[in-house]
Amino acid sequence: MCPAPYQANADAFVVKVEVVSTVSQFVGGSGHEALALQVTVEPGDTVRTLLQQLCGRYPRLRAVLWEGGGLGPHIEVVVNDEVLGVSHQLDSPLKPGDRLMLLGQYVGG
Amino acid sequence: MSRDIVHQGVQQTGNQDMPGGIAGQILRIDLGSGRIWTETLTPREWRIYLGGAGLGAKILYEEVPPDSNWDDPENRLVLATGPLAGLPVWGTGGLTVVTRGALTNGATSTQANGFFGACLKYSGYDAIVLQGISPKWVYLYIRDDQVELRDAAHLLGRDTWETQQSLEQELGYRGHQLSVYTSGIAGENLVRFSAIHGDYGHVASKNGCGAVMGVKKLKAVAIVRGSRALHARDPNGLMKAAEVISHDLETNPTTRGLYQLGTLQGVVNLSKLGALPIKNYTTSVIPAGVDMAQWEGQALRDGFDHRGHQCNACGMHHCHQQVLARGKHKGDIVDEPEYEGWSGAGWAIGCTDPNAVSWLNTQIDRACVDVNEFGWLVGWCMECYEKGYFTREQLGGIDLKWGDAEAANALLQMIIRRQGFGDVLAEGVKRAAEHVGGEAQKCAIYTMKGNTPRGHDHRARWEELLDTCVGSGGSLETGPPVEPTEMGLPARTNPFDHKAVSKNVSTLMGRRHLEDSLGICIFTSRTKISNLCLAINAATGWEFSVEEAQQFGRRVAALLRAFNVRSGIGPELERPSERYGSQPVDGPAAAHDPRKIFDAMVEDYYNALGYDRATGKPLPELLRALGLGQVAKDLWG
Repeated sequence: MCPAPYQANADAFVVKVEVVSTVSQFVGGSGHEALALQVTVEPGDTVRTLLQQLCGRYPRLRAVLWEGGGLGPHIEVVVNDEVLGVSHQLDSPLKPGDRLMLLGQYVGG
Repeated sequence: MSRDIVHQGVQQTGNQDMPGGIAGQILRIDLGSGRIWTETLTPREWRIYLGGAGLGAKILYEEVPPDSNWDDPENRLVLATGPLAGLPVWGTGGLTVVTRGALTNGATSTQANGFFGACLKYSGYDAIVLQGISPKWVYLYIRDDQVELRDAAHLLGRDTWETQQSLEQELGYRGHQLSVYTSGIAGENLVRFSAIHGDYGHVASKNGCGAVMGVKKLKAVAIVRGSRALHARDPNGLMKAAEVISHDLETNPTTRGLYQLGTLQGVVNLSKLGALPIKNYTTSVIPAGVDMAQWEGQALRDGFDHRGHQCNACGMHHCHQQVLARGKHKGDIVDEPEYEGWSGAGWAIGCTDPNAVSWLNTQIDRACVDVNEFGWLVGWCMECYEKGYFTREQLGGIDLKWGDAEAANALLQMIIRRQGFGDVLAEGVKRAAEHVGGEAQKCAIYTMKGNTPRGHDHRARWEELLDTCVGSGGSLETGPPVEPTEMGLPARTNPFDHKAVSKNVSTLMGRRHLEDSLGICIFTSRTKISNLCLAINAATGWEFSVEEAQQFGRRVAALLRAFNVRSGIGPELERPSERYGSQPVDGPAAAHDPRKIFDAMVEDYYNALGYDRATGKPLPELLRALGLGQVAKDLWG
């Protein structure tokens, strides 16, 4: 018996994820450019589940993003122009129109 | 003026009592009398003060009277390196300048790289301490034991690059055989934010250290790469430590960008967080029409013909020189700007053309002023000109519109020669703003102590807002968090959580002083402190721990703070100006008002570090715990 074809939840929505400069090397880019990705999430999905979905696609990102069950020190996660921890936490639900950005930690200059 | 060096019981390198990596001589020069002599420290003192910022803080506190001013003969100009300088760890040409600075009239600790530190160590010295005021302009020449003050009349009016070229030609040395540091034309004219520049692009820039050099009538210091032996106590261990550090810099996801491109990625990264200062803080939004793709780090490098211009023993792909690709100055060779240059010579004054910014940045280096203070000063003037607070006539006929690099350079040339309104501007942002007063003063970015921030919009980086205001060395004492978990901090914090910000700054306090005491570049020390300790221990033969490193940094901070408090620089001055501490009008940080939490942030910082909130003094129990019992007696009786 064939499995039922996957049907996206009608309420699913797309979150745009901008991957900036250095971090792009972990999602298939050169490390010197800004990449625009799209991730489809469902109502109730959180920042964490989106990031986990992204890491499923890009294993190199998984290795540098997480540390001990939480986010590590290397990549800044920005939601709607604010660093994670300001308006959103890792387990905050996403809503249509939310934007994410992955930004390398800056330690120079 | 030429004098033979007079040794006074100096312990030479190779003495088994001395730590490895230490040359063992501090070169002392009284510019007033022309007397030249050497001193040393005991092995215990070397461990307590290390070199660089630590050694300089000790000398400043012990020798410069509290009631003296930056331009008094009693002021000391300490040019110091550290135990790693000249050794095969990356970036070990470090120079740290410590003095009473012209902007705050308080302590200054500011660092440059290049080759100075290595050349000094190879000549047999860990530091140069200058006191007094020379009766005529001189330059200091060092070649091993040959130490001379030579007439510098022929170098007056020459900019930093010209001074170095002249001395190379005159002395017959090329390339890295000779390191020359000078305060340029700005230093000659006592511009309060003049810097000390050397090796074509390296600058100790903070708190008007170049003005101190100028008032002492010291045009330049020229050191031949000497011939003295310099030994690490454990050479194999040092090579392993160097490998650990370089591998970490190259592979750590946080520092890999720094390894590849230096600080070039700063513009794009900081713009995303509202921390790129645009047009004197009048906006935090990238202007329409600016193509940010050209500001990506790799694009900035590839936008010019370039070649590496590395510092001593460095394997980073950081420092470069460029050839200007187009425009009026096409073909000029310039120093590739650091992030601070792209910011101060660019975004802060509304200039968004990388070619123009790169050109202006080198004019600033050649003129020898701090690029950050320049950005805040010229950005302020441009805003005042736009708003009608300043007239074109007042500005010497310059049409000072936002983003005009040529106009900014014209103003720069007026400032470094103190011509017309340039004489007011040469006093730096705070004094110029207070001189003008009114609505114009409200637009100016500075701290009440008299210095200005580095090239960020600190209203989106509260850590650096706090650090700039409360730091005692004329700039930051903590720096950006590097491996924060090593010090027990979380991997990331909310930048607008003032409790977390205070905890970060106070916990990491003193790291910058450690880096600036080793004779190593701040960028090649962007690794765990435990890795730096591996190198320190292999060089010296000590067992220097992370805890000792943290204690060391706090000791230096406490000494500098004690020096400032005794000089009348207290908590009431540890505040931002109206514009510097304002709420951004737009951009990612627009919802956050630092004015609401600033006092609470300072309060937590003081409590965490053991400083007295009312007076700013380090508390006596803290001073005694840091081995500064005498300072406790001086401050508390």
